[in-house]
Amino acid sequence: MEKITLLNILVILESLILLIISFILFFKLKDLSKLKKLQDELNDLKSSKNSARDDFLPILVHELRSPLSVIRGAADLLIKSTDELSVVQIQTLLNQIKNSSTTLLTMVGSILDVSKMENGKFEINKTFSDINSVLNEECSYFDPLTKIKKLSIQCTVDKDIPNFSFDIERVKQVLNNLISNAIKFSPEGAVITVTSKKTGSDCVVYVSDLGVGIPEHEKNSLFQKFFQASNQNGVQKGTGLGLFISKGIVEAHGGKIWFENNSPQGSKFCFSIPIKS
Amino acid sequence: MPKKIFFVEDDEGFYNIFSVPLKMKGYDIVRVSEGSSAVERIITEKPDLILLDIVLPGMSGLDILKELREREETQSVVVIMLTNFGSDENISRAMEYGANDYLMKYNIVPSELPDKIALFLGEDQDFNVKVMGS
Repeated sequence: MEKITLLNILVILESLILLIISFILFFKLKDLSKLKKLQDELNDLKSSKNSARDDFLPILVHELRSPLSVIRGAADLLIKSTDELSVVQIQTLLNQIKNSSTTLLTMVGSILDVSKMENGKFEINKTFSDINSVLNEECSYFDPLTKIKKLSIQCTVDKDIPNFSFDIERVKQVLNNLISNAIKFSPEGAVITVTSKKTGSDCVVYVSDLGVGIPEHEKNSLFQKFFQASNQNGVQKGTGLGLFISKGIVEAHGGKIWFENNSPQGSKFCFSIPIKS
Repeated sequence: MPKKIFFVEDDEGFYNIFSVPLKMKGYDIVRVSEGSSAVERIITEKPDLILLDIVLPGMSGLDILKELREREETQSVVVIMLTNFGSDENISRAMEYGANDYLMKYNIVPSELPDKIALFLGEDQDFNVKVMGS
């Protein structure tokens, strides 16, 4: 009797141990599946980043070659056709060389900015200034271009925003990028609005347009390197670095940049910078 | 009657420079800066030759070329691609769609353009190359 009881106890113990082992194996397998899923997602992300970079390189090469072709072409004409060119034509060619050189320098600057941002070496130079003046200045700068494109630009500033420290040139760079994009994507007759607002201890700037907006599936990628909107008619132009650099600049100030849908249509790009003296 | 050349190019700087030697040679140069209006204007104005960029607002140069070759009235118009996009894929597509030539902007200077065009227009090329003193 005792033997049978002992045997029963042993069988029960063995079954319990087997059950415990089964549970352990089951959970380990679940972890392994999760791990495999994570690894697959990581591989997909890596290959999509590589693909974005590979798709971007021909566009970057094209963008760099364009001003270089103009510079080389203008120089060729100046050298070979000097006798046949009028003073006005010569001046036009020299201006073309100057403008294209500036474009190239700006592009090289953008590439360097990206490199510094990725290596944690990007720095800003703050001075105590009035951000509303910067907004008004930028709106005035873009006003002639908006008129040529049959658009208009409006600037509304919040007088409660005090002077504070920020990098003037870099904030202008952010505004340039956002306003240029708004102009690029706005239909004729549309109004672009640039607004500043004091929200808590932050200065928030909004750049709104009534353009085509951003497709839902692209909103999460907006501020990534090499992002190009898919709703540009024709072939994509530009380096795809503007929003990435804008994000880097705003974050270097301790701020945030984000996108909202504009109502009734279009886009609203927003950034906030802490107001610190 | 001077030969009419359509220069389909949205980069004003590039157009201003590369159209100079063509105008000096007496061609009637018409600039089209928007891809979306290019096909209709080509059908209406019947140029003798088209210089066609690829990167254009509204419609890409390759799509314009494809549409031109699909239409009877523009099947045989001379189209020379003039672009900085030099991938094998783009070149193959352009030649497959029926481009007469594919020129890279960074490989050509303005003074060379009239001779390239004269070849396709069946005109004499100007071999008097202006060379400044060394």
